[in-house]
Amino acid sequence: MKRTAGFVVVMVAGISLMLWAGWHNLRERRLAVEKAQENHVVLVPDNGTANGSSAGSAGQGDQAGGMTTAQDEPLKGKPAPAFTLVNLEGKKVSLSDYKGRPVIVNFWATWCAPCKLEMPWFEEFREKYASQGFEILGIAEDDAPKDEIAKTAKRVNVSYPILLTDGKVAPAYGGVDQLPMSFYIDRKGVVETETIGLASKDEVEANIKRLVGSGAHGPTTASVALPLGSVR
Amino acid sequence: MKLLVGAFLVSSLVSPRVPAQDFSSDSDVRPRAHIVYAAETHTGAAGKPSVIELHFRVLEGYHVNSHTPKSEFQIPTSLKLDPAAGVKAGAMQYPAGTAYSFSFDPNEKLDVYSGPFTVKVPVVAAPGEHHLTGSLHYQACDHAACYPPKTLQLDVFFTAK
Repeated sequence: MKRTAGFVVVMVAGISLMLWAGWHNLRERRLAVEKAQENHVVLVPDNGTANGSSAGSAGQGDQAGGMTTAQDEPLKGKPAPAFTLVNLEGKKVSLSDYKGRPVIVNFWATWCAPCKLEMPWFEEFREKYASQGFEILGIAEDDAPKDEIAKTAKRVNVSYPILLTDGKVAPAYGGVDQLPMSFYIDRKGVVETETIGLASKDEVEANIKRLVGSGAHGPTTASVALPLGSVR
Repeated sequence: MKLLVGAFLVSSLVSPRVPAQDFSSDSDVRPRAHIVYAAETHTGAAGKPSVIELHFRVLEGYHVNSHTPKSEFQIPTSLKLDPAAGVKAGAMQYPAGTAYSFSFDPNEKLDVYSGPFTVKVPVVAAPGEHHLTGSLHYQACDHAACYPPKTLQLDVFFTAK
């Protein structure tokens, strides 16, 4: 009798142990799966299309279009970061030199085909809206030698200031990890629009019109304009 | 006691096992990369010319310049293998690119890789297992933007028998 009772106790203990071990391993597996999911990397296109926005418009087909969303515009509504860079002629140029004027700060590179397509547009619009103080500052975010940058600028027929990066300006503008990238800065030195990737020519002009129109009756001279930007 | 031990052993056999944490599939996917490369093992005859084929894949929606882009300003895709003891590598053999034009500039023809492409590396290796390291330098674009040049680190395992 005692032997049978002992056997039953051992069996119950054994079964309990099995159930506990099963539960424990199941719990461990779930934790491992959760950890694996935390480590899972979802690869998304850098171009922002994953955010569901495309700004393509007339004249460029469906494929073209600056891909800007609110998430892509961290500087929108904020003072444009100040910078002083050297131009192709070796002279220092500061963003603050353009106080009170609507300015596009355009990041580009010699190897960037979309950049070289929109640069002549900028040149055209610079002339068109010159009377409103509009200016472009092209920052070559490029490791290429200066003469190669100059050669490219000449090839695309731009005469606006081309500035050489100092490696700090792009991080100040939120990290330029794709090109072209443009910041439309109003007369008060505030970033009005950011665009990533190539937008249509119509869209570029619409952005410029909005930029030169904002505060157009306000200050246009350095003496009365608010200071541009601040260093981050 | 024997029964207890037996029950424990049985439980460990029948219970679900915690899988080894194998994220190898994820480790091949590099965030913010435009090309993926899966390390493969290669075999060849020792002391005789062999060809290692390195398989790459440009992620959908992107393209990279071929090894011989048409414009002097384009950055070519270029593979570099570090010198390794017992392995003599020859000149890389790159595939031909395909013609590509941005929709916004159909007149400019680029020479690019998109989707899978293979770079061949002729080698002569001493008997044994060899671990080669190297890198693939490339510059990618999508339909409207371009990305700064990147370098993809490579591990190549070659066994010469």
